[in-house]
Amino acid sequence: MITVGIPRALLYYQYYPMWKVFLEKLGAEVVVSSPTNKSILNSGVSRGVQDICLPVKVFFGHVVSLADKCDFMFIPTVTSLGKKSYNCSKLIGLPNMARALIPECPPILAPEINYEKGRYNLYRNIYVVGRHFTCNPFKLKKAVEEAWASNLDYRNKMSDEGITPFQAIDCKPPPDVKSSSLTIAVIGHPYIIYDEYISHRLIPWLQKMEVKVVTPEMVSQEELDAATRRLVGVPHWSFEPEIIGAGEYYLETGVDGIIIVAAFGCGPDSMMLGMVQHRTKEFEIPLLPLSLDEHSSEGGLLTRLEAFLDMVKRRKRVCV
Amino acid sequence: MRIGFPHFGNVYIALKAVARRLESSGDALITPPPMTQHTLDLGVKYSPAEACVPYKLTLGSLIEACDLGADTLIQARGTGICRLGYYAKGQEQMLRDLNYAAHFLTVDISHHKLIGIMRLMKDVTHNRTWHEIISSFFFAIGKLSALDKIEKVVHKIRAVELEKGTASRIYRKAITSIDEAMTGKEVKELTKEYIDKLSRVPKDITAEPLKVGIIGEIYVVIEPFANMDIEIELGKLGIEVERTLTLSRWVKYSLFLNYLGLDEWRKVHKLAHAYLDHDIGGDGWESVGEKVLYARNGFDGIIHLAPFTCMPEIVAENIMPSTKEDIPVLAVICDEQQSKQGMLTRLEAFTDLISFRRRRGEHGRRV
Repeated sequence: MITVGIPRALLYYQYYPMWKVFLEKLGAEVVVSSPTNKSILNSGVSRGVQDICLPVKVFFGHVVSLADKCDFMFIPTVTSLGKKSYNCSKLIGLPNMARALIPECPPILAPEINYEKGRYNLYRNIYVVGRHFTCNPFKLKKAVEEAWASNLDYRNKMSDEGITPFQAIDCKPPPDVKSSSLTIAVIGHPYIIYDEYISHRLIPWLQKMEVKVVTPEMVSQEELDAATRRLVGVPHWSFEPEIIGAGEYYLETGVDGIIIVAAFGCGPDSMMLGMVQHRTKEFEIPLLPLSLDEHSSEGGLLTRLEAFLDMVKRRKRVCV
Repeated sequence: MRIGFPHFGNVYIALKAVARRLESSGDALITPPPMTQHTLDLGVKYSPAEACVPYKLTLGSLIEACDLGADTLIQARGTGICRLGYYAKGQEQMLRDLNYAAHFLTVDISHHKLIGIMRLMKDVTHNRTWHEIISSFFFAIGKLSALDKIEKVVHKIRAVELEKGTASRIYRKAITSIDEAMTGKEVKELTKEYIDKLSRVPKDITAEPLKVGIIGEIYVVIEPFANMDIEIELGKLGIEVERTLTLSRWVKYSLFLNYLGLDEWRKVHKLAHAYLDHDIGGDGWESVGEKVLYARNGFDGIIHLAPFTCMPEIVAENIMPSTKEDIPVLAVICDEQQSKQGMLTRLEAFTDLISFRRRRGEHGRRV
């Protein structure tokens, strides 16, 4: 049986259920790297050249840790997911960087997902990957359909039940948060806010502090797209709805505070978060911008969180 | 209508040329002052902290144009090309916050480039005839290519001139006189005259200068303020510089020849193919290919210019060390923190390295 490795980083958090169903239906065995830890981060940091952002360094660490455990590495090139909107260059060049920086990496399966190039191109790229596992195009077609259904299922499950990707993937019940008065929106890329090592367990900490946490994944895609269109028109980046759209959505629906989490040196975020920041000023809602890199510490983060929550609580008491 | 624009290499000369032909009463082209530390400071102050240096510099330049009374600003936009597509959105909002009542005109530089520019010119000139617009457009392009032609010679002369700084002085003079030229014929004559002047500069004829290729992100490569005159400094160290990215080349291919199916980067993309097989936005793909190209053409080294946090160039920077072609690459990351002295030290060390490599190579012991 062919084993395929999926690094637990970057797009894993959005598409893992889909990838898993697709590969398993084709008869492959899926191996996922363990959650990010210190040695994974260190091996990633030592491979990459200087100024790549932390999530990409972590990604390389995951690829290194999987290198000897699988026959193929699955790193799709997600170039574009909508009309005229593209992903960050680092995501587009991911398989090539992995190939260049990690020579011991097994062959990489890198189907290019590019909306702008049209349907036929997409089908062909998927077919090229599928040929590694099966010669039967009908089996491949069935696998793709089931994978897509599971993706929609996963997305809806998160937005309907208001749960995080972890809870949706592992079918864990959401933790019992005591009925709290505070709702805080945590806005950021899923690969930062849900990676507990990178984000220093931000969401569990908030939940421990009796705060109801809402994230971009808890809003349906249609609502995110609509909010993005209202604010900036056609999105420039494929992940713009999950940052700008989610920010705008939560500002309009009303939350007590917003925490935006970005990796240091993230190009798209540097522009998009400015936009969210601008809007929070207009809505007069408190905002805590966090910039994370491999040097940030849990202690520092906690201090800032506590101060921020105190401020939000006091503000609420004064205003109400 | 008073039109302002951000500085970008010699673009201001082209715009001034167009304005001189098409300006009508009441309209004016506001040329922002040349970029200085003040421009950068303004840009840094009003930009998101992690925005890239071209964003900060163009914002600073636009603010300076607004201060001179510009009410309409020209900025680029596009899709699939890194943050650049977002510049206008962010900058427009920032200028509004600063209470500048400026209206943004954006030029799409990824799709329908030629038509977009033509439409823009027709709009801002209050429907001048197409004949006038097209002739002034070609006049401007003529100026750009004349300057790039002269600069190419300057790069060669700088490395071998006896009295350092002569070529740069002639080039500066050439810029002013070409800027002032009124007809296409005059531009042609001036080009000839200055190339002739440059060829008469006293040179060290025995010297065999080291050759360095400059690659990287287009804004920091072309705008001398952003790269702290790296080409002049390399010339002072006796190094001949070559770069493929020039404004006239961009105009020639992106606005005309690409529509005819000619791709200026085809060869470069082919060379990059083994390492990077698709476009990643910006100039990342080209950087990887150009590294291979320069290595094969027997260059001594490469200087890779990139703004801090530039996504496409970071990808290129990560891929480049793994290429088979062995050539030293010095990555110079440009941002507001850079200092000229720091860069000079690195350039000197790099020069030592590549000259040592060449000496060793001549004795047939190249590794």
